[in-house]
Amino acid sequence: MIGLLMTIFSPIIGGLISGVERVVKARMQSRVGPPILQPFYDFFKLMDKRPIMIHSFHASMGVMYFISAWFAFAVLMLGNDLLIAVFFHVISILALSMGAFSVRSSYSIIGAMRELIHLASYEPVVILCVVGLYLSTGSFDISVILSSSNAPIFTLPLLFFAFVGAIPMMLHKSPFDVAEAHQEIIGGPDIEYSGPFYEAVYTGRWIENVFVYFLVFLFGGGNFILGAFLVVATFLLVTLIDNSTARLDYQRMLKFAWVILIPMAVFNIFFLALGGN
Amino acid sequence: MANIFIFLSIVLPIVFGFIIWFRQCDKVSGLLTYSLLPILTFMGFYVYSVDASIYIHTIGLLDFFIVTFDFFLLIYFAWIGMQRKSNLVIFLAIVQFILLIMVISIAPEVNTANIYVDKLSAMIYLLVALVGVPIAIYSLKYMDYNEKRKHTFIAIVVGFLGVMNFIVSVNNIEWFFTLFELTTLASVVMIGYRGDKESINNSTLALWMNQIGGVAILFSLLIMIKDFGVYHFTDLWQLDKTTITMAAFGFLSIAALVKGAQLPFHKWLLGAMVAPTPVSAILHSATMVKIAPFLLLRLSPVIQDTLLSKLLVLTTGFVFVAAAVFALTQNNFKKILAYSTISLLGLMMLAASIGSSMAVTISIILIIFHGIAKGFLFVEAGILEKLFKVKYIEDMNRLLEKAPLTLLFIIFGFLNMTFVPFGSFIGKWLMIEEASNFLSKGSSVLLIALVAIGGVFLSVLYMKVIGVAIKHHRFSKIKVYPQPKNFLFVSVWYYAILSILTIFIAPFIANFVSPIAIFITGKANGLYADGLSLVLGNSTLEFWQIIGAMILLIAIHVAPFIFKFKNVEQVHPYNCGEITKRDAQSYDFNFINNYESKINMIAITLFISVLIFGGNLL
Repeated sequence: MIGLLMTIFSPIIGGLISGVERVVKARMQSRVGPPILQPFYDFFKLMDKRPIMIHSFHASMGVMYFISAWFAFAVLMLGNDLLIAVFFHVISILALSMGAFSVRSSYSIIGAMRELIHLASYEPVVILCVVGLYLSTGSFDISVILSSSNAPIFTLPLLFFAFVGAIPMMLHKSPFDVAEAHQEIIGGPDIEYSGPFYEAVYTGRWIENVFVYFLVFLFGGGNFILGAFLVVATFLLVTLIDNSTARLDYQRMLKFAWVILIPMAVFNIFFLALGGN
Repeated sequence: MANIFIFLSIVLPIVFGFIIWFRQCDKVSGLLTYSLLPILTFMGFYVYSVDASIYIHTIGLLDFFIVTFDFFLLIYFAWIGMQRKSNLVIFLAIVQFILLIMVISIAPEVNTANIYVDKLSAMIYLLVALVGVPIAIYSLKYMDYNEKRKHTFIAIVVGFLGVMNFIVSVNNIEWFFTLFELTTLASVVMIGYRGDKESINNSTLALWMNQIGGVAILFSLLIMIKDFGVYHFTDLWQLDKTTITMAAFGFLSIAALVKGAQLPFHKWLLGAMVAPTPVSAILHSATMVKIAPFLLLRLSPVIQDTLLSKLLVLTTGFVFVAAAVFALTQNNFKKILAYSTISLLGLMMLAASIGSSMAVTISIILIIFHGIAKGFLFVEAGILEKLFKVKYIEDMNRLLEKAPLTLLFIIFGFLNMTFVPFGSFIGKWLMIEEASNFLSKGSSVLLIALVAIGGVFLSVLYMKVIGVAIKHHRFSKIKVYPQPKNFLFVSVWYYAILSILTIFIAPFIANFVSPIAIFITGKANGLYADGLSLVLGNSTLEFWQIIGAMILLIAIHVAPFIFKFKNVEQVHPYNCGEITKRDAQSYDFNFINNYESKINMIAITLFISVLIFGGNLL
């Protein structure tokens, strides 16, 4: 029941996260920042705009991105296998990058290609994270993970940090926002969307926020207070890093993921598996 | 009845091949090729539905005939070597000749049936019928476009189907060797079919590499006969697993790795891409290379939980990752497909060498779905080449405007290789779950790292290729150009099979694939179908997820045809207001080539360690 409600309201929750993030970001920069509901004001403004598109395929892929991101979240909440939900997430990336590839715009295409590099960077970490949760709790089932008495974070500290390191890649936060890179490729895959279609992509990103922070929540196991603490702490940390670092190029991102994050995750898993023997 | 059907499955295609070759006429070729589709499918189903191992004793004359044939084959290889001035080929042929004489001189008389057909063989019969025959049908039209000796080609393709059915039915490893060499011959003839310099060179390469596989089988036979006194698969399973030596199996695994084009022996499969496309489809992705995982599946009951199996897992797992990485650097469409074949063959062989009931199931799922999807993709690659003159990724730029229907099929094929809920995804998913399961018991620790990180490169690769082709002008009209009926039939055939199997994937896996694995390993794998949902322990791939993903992906790949927003104004791409040449292309990943020699070194090391440590030769 909670899962169903979460799924239905996930765009709203994601919008709130986005709003809070903007406020927190502003406070970190000693600004007041927009109201928390600003993303929703933006939403209504964009929906009111005259719809413009390059061609139907491009526009439809923006909508498909939103739908498949939402569907992936539904699978996460309503299904019982975490791993499948992670693979569903790739479908939304497919829609986004196909849309971005389909227009004759250099920035959009570069952005799409970088989006794939993002995928190659964070996907293994996320899968290893799921495997780690399995090792720690004995199940891929979310309800089992959320009722386990010992929080996975205590057996998976390195994996957790690896995952936190991958979050900026998943959510396009500095220093790993190479696919969006506003000053460089002007939003990458988003650049050619406008009006309601842009709103679809934008809302899709909100859902990704919820998706990612829900995975963080799982590290708390049955201890929901700990889970909530982890989410808030991670959120603040990611926002802080986003505020205080400059963008790296995609090679560095790929190297960071494959040389530091993945070995960290694998090491944690090895340690756990051999210890459990 | 089953015996007759097995006999016909093997002989009928060969006979048909000869008839096509003699008559050299369109009508006969068409009739015979089309008629094989229902006949072979029916016989495959019948043999599959028999719930017992089928042993067939053959007359001694056949044994004599096959051995004699083998000697002629080796002499022919030596003759090819002399013609092409390749000392390596001659040398390997002579070595094989001598080894074969040695094998025959020490081989004892054994009263075991030479033909052994179980559900696994029947599954390959079905794969040959459902995937192989349509490719033969497809070549009926394909060979009309600027190719020589059409009917000879079709005759070889059709005849090869019989050979393929034969090799998965043999129990006698000496016969297996003969047929292994015969498939090598098929490769060589087909790769060199166009007769230009490049084709000849590549076919010579394929010849000597596969000959190494042949030598490995002969070594294995010698050791096997000397150590155990048996040379049949079924006899090997009876051996006491605690005391046997592994050397023979080490050599057999090497033969499998070579046939499966695993690094560092992958060059022959890449070279094979110069052949006409039906050859790439039937020999080098859909059927023939599947002998490699098939051989390991035959060995898996014996090598399970040995050091050899662990080293094989390491080697093939490494290839799974490395070949996918290499594929990113390629710009020839067929070579991209070849590399991804090598990569996925790695995963199949990895699963086969683990040998647990679930792993065997995974291997079979991958064999089936990879076979269908790759056959499909190669067929489309051939259509691109012949109708649209597209061979390289650069030519694929804005392909949607030129060949929307073919692109639609290609995207569907790619989706089948990696996305939820298609077969290959199921294989990958179950593999990660199985590996996690091992991990929680503290074994096969490295396995998880390989299977978890390997798949992502293939996803990136496919999306990159789709991305290049999907680009189009904002006013371009997407309309379907007429295609030859034959091409359309074959494309729709594969599309339909893949869609239907995917929707009913849960009962298919639980009721068709699982029994094969149970037959091989004798243990249940814990998979079952709950209605149309697939259940494994606590995890469920529910039907709403399957159908939801199916609808999403179908909507995505037919979007150019179905989504037409009428009332929305179309504008020029914003592109930040810059007027640049809008020919941005995807990354070529050429920097990976810097690591090629290192990766090859690792592959060679692993390869040798399989033989030396796995085979316990020290």
